[in-house]
Amino acid sequence: MKPTIVALSVALLLGAALPVRAEVSEEARAQRWGDLQHAIFGDRAVEDGGSAIRLTAPDRAMDAAIVPVAIALDDALAKNVKAIYLVIDDNPSPLAAVFHPGEAADMREISTRVRVDDYTYLHAVAETNDGKLLQTAHFIKAAGGCSAPAGKDQALAMQRLGKMKLVIEGKRPADEPAAIAAKLLISHPNSSGLQMDQMTRNYIPADFVQSVRITYDGKPLMTIDGDIAISEDPTFTFAFVPGAGSGELKAEIDDSHQRHFEQSWPVRPQAQM
Amino acid sequence: MRRALLIVAVAAAVAGHARADEPSMLPTVEVAPGIFVHEGLQQNASPENGDEIANTGFIVGDDAVMVVDPGGSATEGRRLRAAVRARTALPIRYVVLTHVHPDHIFGAAAFAADGPAVIGHERLPGALAQRGAFYERTLRRDIGDAAAKGSVVVEPTLLVHEKLDLDLGNRPITIRAHGPAHTDNDLSLADARTGTLWLSDLLFVDRIPVLDGSVVGWLKELASLREVRAARAIPGHGPVSVPWPAGSDDELRYLTELADETRAAIRSNVGIAEAPDHVCEEERGRWLLFDDYNPRNVTAAYKELEWE
Repeated sequence: MKPTIVALSVALLLGAALPVRAEVSEEARAQRWGDLQHAIFGDRAVEDGGSAIRLTAPDRAMDAAIVPVAIALDDALAKNVKAIYLVIDDNPSPLAAVFHPGEAADMREISTRVRVDDYTYLHAVAETNDGKLLQTAHFIKAAGGCSAPAGKDQALAMQRLGKMKLVIEGKRPADEPAAIAAKLLISHPNSSGLQMDQMTRNYIPADFVQSVRITYDGKPLMTIDGDIAISEDPTFTFAFVPGAGSGELKAEIDDSHQRHFEQSWPVRPQAQM
Repeated sequence: MRRALLIVAVAAAVAGHARADEPSMLPTVEVAPGIFVHEGLQQNASPENGDEIANTGFIVGDDAVMVVDPGGSATEGRRLRAAVRARTALPIRYVVLTHVHPDHIFGAAAFAADGPAVIGHERLPGALAQRGAFYERTLRRDIGDAAAKGSVVVEPTLLVHEKLDLDLGNRPITIRAHGPAHTDNDLSLADARTGTLWLSDLLFVDRIPVLDGSVVGWLKELASLREVRAARAIPGHGPVSVPWPAGSDDELRYLTELADETRAAIRSNVGIAEAPDHVCEEERGRWLLFDDYNPRNVTAAYKELEWE
């Protein structure tokens, strides 16, 4: 399976990129987003999502390599969403992630952490089941996220590679009896290919999580296509509606080095695993 | 004790007087015989302060001079060099870059003609390769092209693996390479003659510590350093000299709270974006530049500790 996201990112990378500096005009930024929309969605119209879709991120990144990003959908859109695209316009590889919800997913909020390489617009686009594309944007000031040094202890990171943790964060929101919020942590350097090994001074080859398949009771809950813009030790927060009894949540990871990792957890609300 | 105070008072008077005559010389205080420190401004880099925001200085032995943290720009490096030459004609044999941050390293270019050995942690070259160009750009952005002129990365020529012993002429200096703490390439120095620890950014006083390495590691390094008997310590930011280990009591408290409260936030499922509002709030009034750096420190600690 050739992940679409990688092919797309390569195409975008080869395309004209904005000069890497903060002083870029709004016009140039709009042009950039126009180009990216075309590259990702072809000729399809991308409408302003209004209040149906919200993107939350800092205005100024504290750490450009670990920028928390949350995408929230209103009730109607959450029930009708087929995929969510997260784009970081001025990153070397702009399409950061695509989220594909399964039936059990509660898509009112998902979040992750990304690398942001320069002052840029972030865009989230929700694709509905009836083919509409709804966008929202957020401007962020950050720099150098994609080339930020990898974690301080490469040896430790490789030892822990592929291990996962699932944290059940409780019920969300309070008035919804069934939805459970969870956070999946994946230990993985998620190297962008733009970071340098501090000892050898060679570039660390890109080595990143390409696909995260989360199932619940054997049925797809969420599939995430990832790219180099996801931070080291990828983390995803999502919510889902469990069945009548407690079931098994399973995560399967495939990375760019053809590694495969699996882990599963019995789901018990309020428990941390 | 009184003699030491007298030396300090005279040095301060001389420094003050010298500054009035020669605005191009960096004022320094002689914190112990032969150890001169300039106190950086407790600010973020700006055109007004020219990135002169870190403590810099030098040590004079019988035969040679060692510069410690040459400053935040080539301009500051030149001002520091003038301060050295105002006191001694001895050769400047060593320039120590205690870690990769720009406010400590960009003065190195001003010492090129002296041909010193440039000393750094074994992990410094990699850190410079990765961040150097980025820091050169941001320096120009922060203080202006003219003020930043000549501020280029200078590569270390002598790397410290665990420990390096040097002698400035009847003045043995021991340089230690630390595990990840403030950054992952921190050096500290010990001057045997006066019992002085030059800790640079392993020690912050008054200004909030900046976590760009490992909070667990920093607590470990700090615990080990606090066991060392020393007459005084020189922080990277703060007064030129503080008692030891008392001078690190505040930093120890802050880093301990940072680690403990971040762990508590993780356990209560507070997300990484919200955690900065919940951690170290009671430290707020106690540190300069708190709002600039505490949120970032919490984010870094969160990411480190969520895997514990």
